[in-house]
Amino acid sequence: MEELIYKLKEEIIDVLNLEGMKPEDIDENAPLFGEGLGLDSIDALELIVLMEKNYGIKLKNANEGKEIFKSVRVIAEYINEHKTK
Amino acid sequence: MTKIVVTGIGIISALGNGKKQTVEGLRAGKTAVGPIRILQTKHHELPVGEVALSDEELKQLINMPAATATNRTTLLARVALKEALAEAQLAPNSSDSIVLISGNTVGGMEKSEQYYRDFLQNDHRNEYIGLHDCGACTEKIAEEFSGHFKFTSTISTACSSAANAVILGANLIKDGTAEIAVVGGTECLSKFHLNGFNTLMILDKEPCKPFDAQRNGLNLGEGAAYLVLETEESALRRNVPILCELSGYSNSCDAFHQTATSPNGEGPYLAMCKALQSSGLSANDIDYINAHGTGTPNNDECEGYAMMRVFGDKMPPISSTKAYTGHTTSAAGSVESVISILALKHQFIPANLHYHSPIEGHSFKPVTEVRENVPLKHVLTNSFGFGGNDSSCIFSAYQVTGNRCQGTDSTPQRPIFIRAASQISLQAPLSEQWFEEPVVPDTLNCDSQEANYSLYINPMAARRMGKLFKRAIATAMDVLHKGNCEQVDAIVTGTGLGCIEHTEKFLHAMLDNDEELLPPTHFMQSTHNTISSQMALHLKCHGYNCTYSHRGTSFDSGLLDVLTQMNLGDIHNALVCGHEEMTPDYFNMLGKIGYWKKESADEETLRRHDSNGSFSGSCSLNLLLTDTPSADNLCTIRAMKMLYKPDSQQLDSALQRILAQNNLTVNDISAVVMGLSGDQANDEVYLNFARQQCPEIPLVWYKHLFGESYCASAFGVYAAAVILQRQTIPNHLIYKGKIAKGAPIKHILVYNHFQNKDHSLILISSCLY
Repeated sequence: MEELIYKLKEEIIDVLNLEGMKPEDIDENAPLFGEGLGLDSIDALELIVLMEKNYGIKLKNANEGKEIFKSVRVIAEYINEHKTK
Repeated sequence: MTKIVVTGIGIISALGNGKKQTVEGLRAGKTAVGPIRILQTKHHELPVGEVALSDEELKQLINMPAATATNRTTLLARVALKEALAEAQLAPNSSDSIVLISGNTVGGMEKSEQYYRDFLQNDHRNEYIGLHDCGACTEKIAEEFSGHFKFTSTISTACSSAANAVILGANLIKDGTAEIAVVGGTECLSKFHLNGFNTLMILDKEPCKPFDAQRNGLNLGEGAAYLVLETEESALRRNVPILCELSGYSNSCDAFHQTATSPNGEGPYLAMCKALQSSGLSANDIDYINAHGTGTPNNDECEGYAMMRVFGDKMPPISSTKAYTGHTTSAAGSVESVISILALKHQFIPANLHYHSPIEGHSFKPVTEVRENVPLKHVLTNSFGFGGNDSSCIFSAYQVTGNRCQGTDSTPQRPIFIRAASQISLQAPLSEQWFEEPVVPDTLNCDSQEANYSLYINPMAARRMGKLFKRAIATAMDVLHKGNCEQVDAIVTGTGLGCIEHTEKFLHAMLDNDEELLPPTHFMQSTHNTISSQMALHLKCHGYNCTYSHRGTSFDSGLLDVLTQMNLGDIHNALVCGHEEMTPDYFNMLGKIGYWKKESADEETLRRHDSNGSFSGSCSLNLLLTDTPSADNLCTIRAMKMLYKPDSQQLDSALQRILAQNNLTVNDISAVVMGLSGDQANDEVYLNFARQQCPEIPLVWYKHLFGESYCASAFGVYAAAVILQRQTIPNHLIYKGKIAKGAPIKHILVYNHFQNKDHSLILISSCLY
């Protein structure tokens, strides 16, 4: 799990262009949207692409994403349960 | 008050070709959205509003040879334009001053996406390279009717493009620049657009349900529509039937988010309020609202709240007609203007199809069945684009007003000043070092020298930005700082290509990944108006916001827009800017069609101008314009005239008119700033002009320092401003002639043309004399 969390942080930094950030800088339990990292709806769309590309998980709409993208840990748990690749 | 009337309309959409089929379709209350039949894509799960005619059939309608290289966006436009011009009884080569303003967002993309690999790898499809950009579409649309138009331009504000074309056309008429304005927009379906909207997850796989609680996105459509606008006086003089009046309009910026509308719909609210204000009507006078109503969760909720704020509990009947036509994007503003005018004419209200129950919090229900025999007098139509480019127009039943309408010369000429300038280019960024010690370009594809953007943009905002956005924001903030100005009434951007880097990235991904797993960010950034809306977002500027993408006169078009509005007294200060970037691939593509020199572009080579092309220079320039006199102003803009395909006599009379208006003769001009670039054909036009108009006057050039790009002409205005302020012309800017040392530099003429088609003349004067 911790390995997946670390890998996910790296992927998030890459796909969202979080320049100058390291995986250690992201608190896996902190909210990603609004407070915490302060991501927005466009980031959510990028994360949806990431989920499908890297883990074969297809989300139906942005609302579904909202539930899953609460924190890096929640995403990692969801991936563990649903990944197809 | 100049009364503006509509004397011709033309339309083509999924509902059919022409007004008759459109009215029949609307009255039948049946959607024209259905499965994809013509567009070559794998996304057949997405319903679209596709025009039922093939390219070949469209070509037949306008008698175009089947082998002509063109694109669907141009074809749709020509069909609609033909209908509008015929109804308005406009014959070619009339003496009237007629302008064409056309909106589109992805230009010739529908062909570029098919031939992109050819563009990169071989010479089989080179004839389509020059048709790729937005301005090229307008150029090709105008070509067929070239006897009609005295000026053409292209607006690219995504889904409000055509509404903004209506607004510019109306302003040009009010200001006396044009007598008749043909305005509208066009866009065909493309894989690029379909996949782009798909990455944003706002396409419904079912027919769209605007304003419904269960709405789940939009259906993409295609189409074109044009309106002929003119003064009441002109229509009466020409003795043509008047369809209705354009009684009000407004453009505001939501300045909230790159794609989403603010929760309380601030931009839409401002657009509707100001449109009402400009019409002199009250909210109660509106009999029908043709809403933007795309069917996306965000738009419909926010537009609904904005309408509730404007109309309170006296909400007029509302419908979105996008469930009939699909969302025709750039054409939507004119498609729905034409639908509004048809509703006025035939006194009916089209239905808001597929609606069942209201959105939580909404106090209104749209019209769900077609209503006939409704006494409509005033119809408001909304058009909103990405980046919060929000516009509203009001069309009213025409009432004869006799002599109320005054001539077009009554507008007072106000002094308009350039307060400050800021640039990022291959020269030292955010500085005027180029005026003393210029950098000598050393490659044929010169990128800009970057500034320290962290001073202007926080890292979270910067991370998604392409370099063009950063340059635009940095120069905007720098110019406001230099001009000691906190907020502006308008931001107007010229960009021929927009953020081409992101466009290419999306195109590559789409072709490489077979239309799957595409990055939404790249699509959003490819929309040309993103640059202008990012500036508005950063400056929290809710004022007028518009983007021009008209090849080599993109910046000039924006400047004309700002000068027109300042002259009308609608705005008092504005940012007007030009932003271009270049990528290696696009550089190579343009190289194939003669844009660049082959080996080097040193000054000596450029001066010889004995071969095609110049060198490429990325550029960003922001000018702050104001109507407030100040000792800090750099110079004053006295006059501007833009012309489409003028002969030398027309150019001459335009120049003489500009001079006469300012009580000047050609001998009062101290220097002529020209876009000489080393390209044989282009330079010949400039030098001919100089020989005929001002053989004795020193010529100044600037493209040898900044390179060639669609917005390079901005640097001509900039150079003139700095020369006038400093009262000196450094040797490295002089192309020919000499200025006596210490002689006052009072007036400068800036002359720009693009491929001898679109021309602009700008008279700029010193504030010292």
